[in-house]
Amino acid sequence: MIRLDHVTKVYPTAAKPALNDVTVDVDKGEFVFLVGSSGSGKSTFLRLLLKEESPTSGSVLVAGKDLARLSHWKVPTLRRQIGCVFQDFRLLPTKTVRENVAFALEVIGKPKHTIDKVVPEVLDLVGLGGKDERRPDELSGGEQQRVAIARAFVNRPMILIADEPTGNLDPETSTGIMRLLDRINRTGTTVVMATHDAAIVDSMRRRVVELEAGKVVRDQARGVYGYSK
Amino acid sequence: MRAQFVASEIWIGLRRNLTMTVAVIVTAAVSLTLFGLSLMVRNQVNAMKDFWTGKVEVSIYLKGDVTEAQRDQLRDELVAMPEVERVVFESKEEAYERFKEQFRDTPEIVENTSADVLPESFRVKLRDPKKFEVVASAFAERPGVDNVVNQRELLRDFFAVLNAFRTGMLFFATISLLAAVVLIGITVRVAAFSRRRETGIMRLVGASNLYIQLPFLLEGVLAGVLGGIVASALCAAAQTFIVNATLRERLKFTPWIGWDQFWGLVPVLLFTGILLAGIASFATLRKYLRV
Repeated sequence: MIRLDHVTKVYPTAAKPALNDVTVDVDKGEFVFLVGSSGSGKSTFLRLLLKEESPTSGSVLVAGKDLARLSHWKVPTLRRQIGCVFQDFRLLPTKTVRENVAFALEVIGKPKHTIDKVVPEVLDLVGLGGKDERRPDELSGGEQQRVAIARAFVNRPMILIADEPTGNLDPETSTGIMRLLDRINRTGTTVVMATHDAAIVDSMRRRVVELEAGKVVRDQARGVYGYSK
Repeated sequence: MRAQFVASEIWIGLRRNLTMTVAVIVTAAVSLTLFGLSLMVRNQVNAMKDFWTGKVEVSIYLKGDVTEAQRDQLRDELVAMPEVERVVFESKEEAYERFKEQFRDTPEIVENTSADVLPESFRVKLRDPKKFEVVASAFAERPGVDNVVNQRELLRDFFAVLNAFRTGMLFFATISLLAAVVLIGITVRVAAFSRRRETGIMRLVGASNLYIQLPFLLEGVLAGVLGGIVASALCAAAQTFIVNATLRERLKFTPWIGWDQFWGLVPVLLFTGILLAGIASFATLRKYLRV
């Protein structure tokens, strides 16, 4: 589903590469934790998958497509197959829960009857049924992240990218979010999650890829956060 | 593409930026009005040129003591010249009739003038009005000839003034059109910045460039069209109050531009409004809303 082949990324103003000869293969339906300290290259890794950045050398394949050969007007099509969740939720404060989720479908031109059908479904799935007409500032952090996950998942993407989705949440709420991501993973969606949260990684026992200064230093099938902690 | 969604996005954008939008419409309207007025002046100059070029003649005025033999001699030579298309002799009486017609609004002048004081003349129409010198040099010093006047010379100064006027207006119109382009560009940039949260999410979930940029582009174009409509209205006012109500009534010796030319002007103004807004928006969006 995702393949990075000897990928090196050097930002124009940086002396050291953000990613240095990284090779990672992620199968369809896998759940992968991307761990490592700040500046280890996790964000660059995720940005490459969305073609927000292009590698300096090496190739990135997502869903069987070589992103280097993907013309720039086809990038939106790529992004429709990838859902994204962030630490800061990125919800629209002036829109209700339902409108926030519907927005993701409206802007890719989905017809209204489809939107009216799938938005309540996905809100039920993330456990926000009945809160459709609330605004983000009336919700707890955990609930806001559920809205963001609903928005990322409403178009049934093949891949879900989560960049520290529990970074702003307390442990209990985080566990709830992880359960939700696990459920989404079980529907066949590949999940790539960058995180600092050792407790979560340890409890999930999923594949762990650790980056350090742009290099893959560990790739474990059922890993824990790290030895060095 | 869902038209209703795009329309609501435009509406939100326009409302959020209301003062800027008004500024854009006013700037576009003022610059397009100047542009429209300079086009009206150009139309007027062309209409006058067409009218007068067909009429200008070389007038050879004869002395009061010219003999009949001299007159016949001159006429024969004029007719024989290859440059000359047509020669008409104007007697004192005919000159007086024309004089009366020209000054019929001021009878005092007509009353104080008799046919005697007006000179006889040959009205010479040239095949090529530029060949005036040939005729002038051949006849100016001839016995019985008082002087040779090229009406074209008189009109040239008149047209030079009108042309300078038109060029000046076009110059200011161009400057203010450029200002309008810059202002529209800035407005679209502010709009894009104030909605960067929305556009960021749109990019993330895979909205196409067209879908992201279209509301901003249409916002700019709508302002351009409104500016064009206001400019058309102001030009219509100029046509009604300045040309039709004043100039056409007072200055009857020449034709004036009418509504035909005005209706030709409206699409030009609207198209220019759309074009300048489109260019400004497109250039700005390329820079600030990349995928």
